[in-house]
Amino acid sequence: MSTLLDVRNLVTRFHTQDGVVKAVNGASFTVAKGETIAIVGESGCGKSVTSLSILRLIAQPQGKIVSGEALLDGTDLLKLSTEEMRKIRGARISMIFQEPMSSLNPVLTIGRQMTEQLELHRHMGQQEALAEAINLLKLVGIPQAERRVKDYPHHFSGGMRQRVMIAMAISCKPQLVIADEPTTAVDVTIQSQLLELIRGITDEMGMSLILITHNLGVVARYARRVYVMYAGTVVEHGPALSVYHHPLHPYTSGLLASVPRLDEPRKGRLAPIEGQPPDMMCPPVGCPFQPRCAYALPKCLTDRPELQEMAPGHFTACWVAFSGETLWQKT
Amino acid sequence: MAENVVIEINNLAKYFPITSGLFFKKKVAEVKAVDGVSFAIHRGETLGLVGESGCGKTTVGKCVLQLYRATSGEVIFEGKNLCDLNENQLRPLRRKLQVVFQDPYDSLNPRFTAADIIGEPLQINSDIRGSDFDRRIAELLDIVGLAPYMADRYPHEFSGGQRQRLGVARALALQPEFIVCDEPLSALDVSIQAQIINLLDDLQDKFGIAYLFISHDLSVVRHMSDRVGVMYLGKMMELSERDEIYKSPLHPYTQALLSAVPIPDPAVEEKRKVIVLKGEVPSPINPPSGCVFHPRCPKAFDDCSKLIPQLKDAGSGHEVACLLYKTSWP
Repeated sequence: MSTLLDVRNLVTRFHTQDGVVKAVNGASFTVAKGETIAIVGESGCGKSVTSLSILRLIAQPQGKIVSGEALLDGTDLLKLSTEEMRKIRGARISMIFQEPMSSLNPVLTIGRQMTEQLELHRHMGQQEALAEAINLLKLVGIPQAERRVKDYPHHFSGGMRQRVMIAMAISCKPQLVIADEPTTAVDVTIQSQLLELIRGITDEMGMSLILITHNLGVVARYARRVYVMYAGTVVEHGPALSVYHHPLHPYTSGLLASVPRLDEPRKGRLAPIEGQPPDMMCPPVGCPFQPRCAYALPKCLTDRPELQEMAPGHFTACWVAFSGETLWQKT
Repeated sequence: MAENVVIEINNLAKYFPITSGLFFKKKVAEVKAVDGVSFAIHRGETLGLVGESGCGKTTVGKCVLQLYRATSGEVIFEGKNLCDLNENQLRPLRRKLQVVFQDPYDSLNPRFTAADIIGEPLQINSDIRGSDFDRRIAELLDIVGLAPYMADRYPHEFSGGQRQRLGVARALALQPEFIVCDEPLSALDVSIQAQIINLLDDLQDKFGIAYLFISHDLSVVRHMSDRVGVMYLGKMMELSERDEIYKSPLHPYTQALLSAVPIPDPAVEEKRKVIVLKGEVPSPINPPSGCVFHPRCPKAFDDCSKLIPQLKDAGSGHEVACLLYKTSWP
């Protein structure tokens, strides 16, 4: 599989009144053509800022991409002019946002919002674009599409709005779709409808998909490869099966242990990760997970570990794992 | 078992009127948020209530606490029907019925310190004052895993998980017998959720409090609950012992809900078959005829749109309201 997107050492910061928030600190990942990867992490770990940085949608002027590269088929997106970037967004990389209500324009009809990019990127005429919009709405399973294109976002339910978002995201047949917590705002039964839809469409059209989520179950169901982010960096990544069955980073294993599972006998007590995620204005020195880690070595307090390959395709950044210890692994 | 019942809910219904007109409000329709729900909770027991948004689970919680006055039905606590009591008669009982809300950001007064927040119930409902008061605050903070020196801090100085601990401490202040936990975890991160789950577990063991645990997360409900009720569009669809309902769910809705929960293990997920329900939850203003679930039900047959299934014991205490089971036929 050839690489579609290669993000290297991305660093994004926000300058606020209280200080500099180091939201992303050297995140790297790759997506191959037609591949689905997941970025998993808790709120504030930088997973959304990473995706927004790739699309250069970071709020200006307080937000700044300090360094790094994001190579799409060899072109560095971070070096493109605003004009060139506009040709990428929607056309080659598109995004499905978390909150369909706040990401759709409330005063424009669904049809107008959909045709805008069809006219811009695919150079369609008005009539042609409207016909295409109706087709797309049918594709994502919106009943009576001919009538519904004239409706406004508030006429749609949450699940239906997210379907509209999906239709918009795929309308220009992009190479890469980024879905940022696409189902956090909806119920479980709607969640499976939407995720099955996203999977079906991206598979069929051969698109790559980055699924950003905090839900470990969703990752297990839909992604082949997974990146675990903590405090603005990737602490572990590899094939989903390997990461879930043999987590090499204590944070990953802590996350997996802290969720109750439906398929296992009920446990008496859960094993939570003690403490809280760090304040990203002053992230800890050394390993970012060190203050919450039960296995920390003296070295962890001073030196930051870099990702190393510990098993085929399975990388982690943890001094304890490097030393050969994996006390947290289930047998 | 009967004398161990803390609270009993019989045929509870809550309809919200939809009015039109500016001066002469006319009732044009009703939202049947909760429609004929019954259950009982025993001492030291947790009843989990699951369902999707809009199914009426929060309304049930609020009706039980008399934060909403029910349209009809009974809430029996200490031999009295709370629905028949006025505010003055309710006040002494309210101290024994507490609540932990969903959003620890909205449910704490930003101008109150932690001590004010936890102390308010004590100020109103007890005569603990002075140094005893301070000692009790420190004790409560300690019980929920916060340090006593944090008493003078304001909510914004706490993290989400710590704020939820404050919410729990406030609910505990008057040593209640029963706490409604309304989605207490949904605003928290995964690693923090487990901390609060363990806290609620420990408090139950220590004080024998009964919980009504309202959540949309089926894995968490299984972990927390002794018995589980599944709601859909204001009705109880299934109610049973936890292991029974998770091992052999009877209602097609429960089966679909369970299969929709992804399991954090790629090897398991690969082999699993997901039941994807078609359509969305219909409007409770105009609910479907017969069984409210029938338009989305993969197993629906003709009678489902005509007959209203009754929640009845289908064997060994496993109650279900579905026409697939003879016991549910009206």
